Amino acid sequence: MLFAIDPADVRPIYVQIMDEVRRALVVGTLTADDPLPSVRQLASDLRVNPNTVAQAYRELERDGVVHVKRGQGTFASNLNMNGKQRRTLAREVARRALRDAHRNGVNAEDLIWAIQAAADKSNRQAP
Amino acid sequence: MTQPLPTTLQGANLAVSTRALRKRFGTVNALDGLDLQVPTGAVYLLIGPNGAGKSTALRTLLDLVRADAGSASVFDLDTIKDGPRIRANIGYVPERTEWGYPWMRVGQLLLHHSAYFPSWDAAYAARLITLFELQLDRKLGGLSKGQARRVHLVVALAHRPPLLLLDEPIDGLDPIIRDETLSVLAEHFSDTPTTTIISTHHVSEVESMVDCVGAMRAGTLRAQLSLADLRAGLRRYRAEVPDGWAGAPALNGAVLRRAHAPREIQWTAWGPEAEISAHLTQAGAAIRDVAAVSLNDATLALLNPKADQT
Repeated sequence: MLFAIDPADVRPIYVQIMDEVRRALVVGTLTADDPLPSVRQLASDLRVNPNTVAQAYRELERDGVVHVKRGQGTFASNLNMNGKQRRTLAREVARRALRDAHRNGVNAEDLIWAIQAAADKSNRQAP
Repeated sequence: MTQPLPTTLQGANLAVSTRALRKRFGTVNALDGLDLQVPTGAVYLLIGPNGAGKSTALRTLLDLVRADAGSASVFDLDTIKDGPRIRANIGYVPERTEWGYPWMRVGQLLLHHSAYFPSWDAAYAARLITLFELQLDRKLGGLSKGQARRVHLVVALAHRPPLLLLDEPIDGLDPIIRDETLSVLAEHFSDTPTTTIISTHHVSEVESMVDCVGAMRAGTLRAQLSLADLRAGLRRYRAEVPDGWAGAPALNGAVLRRAHAPREIQWTAWGPEAEISAHLTQAGAAIRDVAAVSLNDATLALLNPKADQT
């Protein structure tokens, strides 16, 4: 899996790393028992502080998203991706959209209507 | 009413601390009561305009500069009494890259340093030399600024010291080597327990590596806090305001940076978001957006000479 993080994002970097792991699990680029990059490797790849990566992995472990095998590293857990993780991710996407809408003077009701309309349109175009 | 910017790191186990450090060069106060606090294991970013005293502060820790007043300690050792012991535990990348011995070749310099530091990791040094594309037979005097910087980085990192003082470590490096250097530093922090002070103007490039920030101006710290606290406490507020809006007097002192347009403001303010928002709303502003600021924008706000707090 590949990670993308943005230091200017409102979310702290460790949260962005957690969200990236959840995203990879939901879209399927990471599946159960796949190894995650080592803390050292990911810190080096992303040019971030290793403590930040370690914090993200700890919290993911606490949430049951990943598990640690002693001496082997961190692995994705077997999760029902139609359930809780997908909803967690959807809520985060929704919060971002709402913030963006408010910034543009669009209220929640108008946003929901616009999402529905856009979804209908793209469903018609792509059977 | 409004809260001052924090200048002390509470409850941290400190690797480096200075107390009321003062240093005058001629008529200039390079250090004017500096209380630096660097927690053990942290990556501490020192920011400030040119001439703020950042390099002098680092050189004081090495006892390359003697303060006129105050004291400084590194790992609980006094920088003046225990200079040699402290220097043996520091990797230093100086801001200036000229050498006192331009005739010496890169390989000779590294050999010289390897003899001084018992913890010199020759395999690591060799890896860094390859990574940084350094030629051992080149004379120091003939190196470009970027090459000299990379030699300094090898010398500073290869003995895996518990304290790194990096004064503009990525300045003068091309974008590819700069990126490579940040990757090397991230790996270094994984492999070696290190406390690091980085002084740089390239704030956005080191942002994701940093734990603590010290904002220096005129020889003293205007703010000193963890990056988490900075991100939580400093926000940019965008709001619509009525024509001829009188401002929000309750927020005087909290606003570090102001941008105004007719019927619109964009303020960067320090304090609990709920409190700042409430004051803005009370004053008649309609908040459109509250956002975290990048470290680069935070730097501009913390060092803003026109800020309310001085």
